[in-house]
Amino acid sequence: MRKADIYVALGLMVVGLLVIGDAVRLGFGWGMSGPEAGFFPFYMGLGVVICTFFIVLRAIRIYRKEGPGKPLIKAGGLTPILWVLLPAAGMVLLTELIGLHLSTVLYLIFYMGVIGKTPWPKTVVISILVPLVIYILFDKIFLIPLPEGIWGKGLIPF
Amino acid sequence: MTGLSVSLQPYNLMIAVLGMILGVIVGVLPGLGGANGCAILIPITFMMSPTSAIILLACIYWGALYGGGICSILFNIPGEPWAVAVTFDGYPMAKAGRPGKALTLSFLSHAVGALVGVFILTFFAPIIAEFALKFGPPETAAVMILTFSAMTRLGGKSAIKSLVAIFLGFILAGVGMDIVSGKLRMTFGSIPLMGGFHFIVAVIGLFGIGEIFLTVEEGLKMEGYKATLTLKDIKESLRELVYHKRVLMLGALIGCWLGIQPGGATPGSFMAYGFAKSSARDKADYGKGASSGIIAPEAAAHGAGTSATLPMITLGIPGSPTMAVIMGGLMIMGLTPGPMLFKDNVEFVWGLIGSIWVANFLGLFICLLFAPLFAAILRIRFGILLPCIIYVCAIGAFAVNNRMIDIYYMLIFGVVGLLFKKLDYPIAPMVLALVLGNMAESAVRQALIMGRGNPLIFFRPPIALPLMLLALFLFFLPTMSKWKQKFFPKKGTTG
Repeated sequence: MRKADIYVALGLMVVGLLVIGDAVRLGFGWGMSGPEAGFFPFYMGLGVVICTFFIVLRAIRIYRKEGPGKPLIKAGGLTPILWVLLPAAGMVLLTELIGLHLSTVLYLIFYMGVIGKTPWPKTVVISILVPLVIYILFDKIFLIPLPEGIWGKGLIPF
Repeated sequence: MTGLSVSLQPYNLMIAVLGMILGVIVGVLPGLGGANGCAILIPITFMMSPTSAIILLACIYWGALYGGGICSILFNIPGEPWAVAVTFDGYPMAKAGRPGKALTLSFLSHAVGALVGVFILTFFAPIIAEFALKFGPPETAAVMILTFSAMTRLGGKSAIKSLVAIFLGFILAGVGMDIVSGKLRMTFGSIPLMGGFHFIVAVIGLFGIGEIFLTVEEGLKMEGYKATLTLKDIKESLRELVYHKRVLMLGALIGCWLGIQPGGATPGSFMAYGFAKSSARDKADYGKGASSGIIAPEAAAHGAGTSATLPMITLGIPGSPTMAVIMGGLMIMGLTPGPMLFKDNVEFVWGLIGSIWVANFLGLFICLLFAPLFAAILRIRFGILLPCIIYVCAIGAFAVNNRMIDIYYMLIFGVVGLLFKKLDYPIAPMVLALVLGNMAESAVRQALIMGRGNPLIFFRPPIALPLMLLALFLFFLPTMSKWKQKFFPKKGTTG
């Protein structure tokens, strides 16, 4: 946990430095008409760098004194998180190809059936019904287009 | 009166009921909350009139406030962060065989909290709005600084991490085109970044996806008590409410204060619970199912929720994360929250206030009648609910701008949300900064132009000066008391 604290703070510090760098490029001083474009981001970036510096300092001090402390994610906790994250990422990648609704059907079947261990008939019915209702509601009634992907349009017949 | 008639139009009434029901469902489900429930539905509201849209969004918030308690009481799992404090006494009471009484107590306390909140709102909103019309950019900036300094110090999180969260929120808000000069900022030459980050995407990722990760890590087990409400429960709860009226009012007022201040419902409910406990005569009952342990936090949560509307419509500063999302939705619809609303959009403002009165009464009846039904949702297996929640989140993230990249951002924000929650970086101030980003930046820049670069403009009397002093005082108060303990440790013990 404390190691992770240090790493995250260092990561945020890098973000702050990048922001400062960009703000310097834009100019952070006083321009023709008041503060320049980089003015506000410069001070925000500076704030992040200063604050994360203190966070790192304090975290290192506590780390030296009391050791690493509890793990960031408790034992056996990472697997379920990855089991949520990776299929979801896969669904999003698939969306690029076949559209959100169709990839959701596959995602729901996979998640409920394989990970959730739901009985298959139930899985299939829910996986088709939920996206179908949403499709009709959004794309047909509210006319809010959802991602179709490259081939999605041809795959949904109505 | 115009407000009540607007909110009683059949269409708006229907929207209110729909919003309430959706809100309770959103509130009951862990992983979906008021903030991201509103965020997901904002795209749908684009086709409504602004008044109907805000009624829908606000009702989702009220519904989520009501619903959060159901999950806490019956399952010992808070459906919402503001319902954590209810688990301390609500679950023990359900365990002792009185789930119906615990639920009724919670709903009734919510209704009272809402009443107090909306009462304050109705009477103070016009006065504050009138006052706020005198504000120039320096005053606006000072109000925002006051907001953030109040927020930094709430919830007992590390102040320095809150600051980092606020700065990051402002940085994220600044990505893309600069509104004043038209220059591209912090895009580093990449085209997707030119569009910037939309706060709705961030909210869905940070609150929704992040919350889901936390839930699965805990290894969620849904085992709870059946909810059955009888007339006897209602009668008994009413009697208890009258008996504990002091705790009830205390909770509601603490909540309202934190809603205006702004802190939101979550710190409000904790603080009210703490106050109720420390002022109780019989402390031993707390944690074992004391009625006042349910009443205080629930009244505070709803008081905070409703009174969070006050700074939003009068000053343009949301009093809670969910209110920030609602306000962002209003800005997309072309309304500028702030004192001008009371001049230019009279029907809108009073329609909103009227709907708060109406909706919270409706909500009480909906909850009392259908609580068992809502609780039944929780019996659906999480393996089925979870992918559906992620699907809905993805739709919400996409529909804001019709951009595919936003769904990726949502997942990334989800991981960030998990890390931030684990490491105690508060998320609420970051979201607030993201929503207020452009407004705050232009206020600061305009003020500096007015003052020809002299930062003393932020301290100009008569309005900005006291606001800034109050902000500094609030910010340094906890630090000073800590120093006092450090350097004069004996004072506390001997004298």
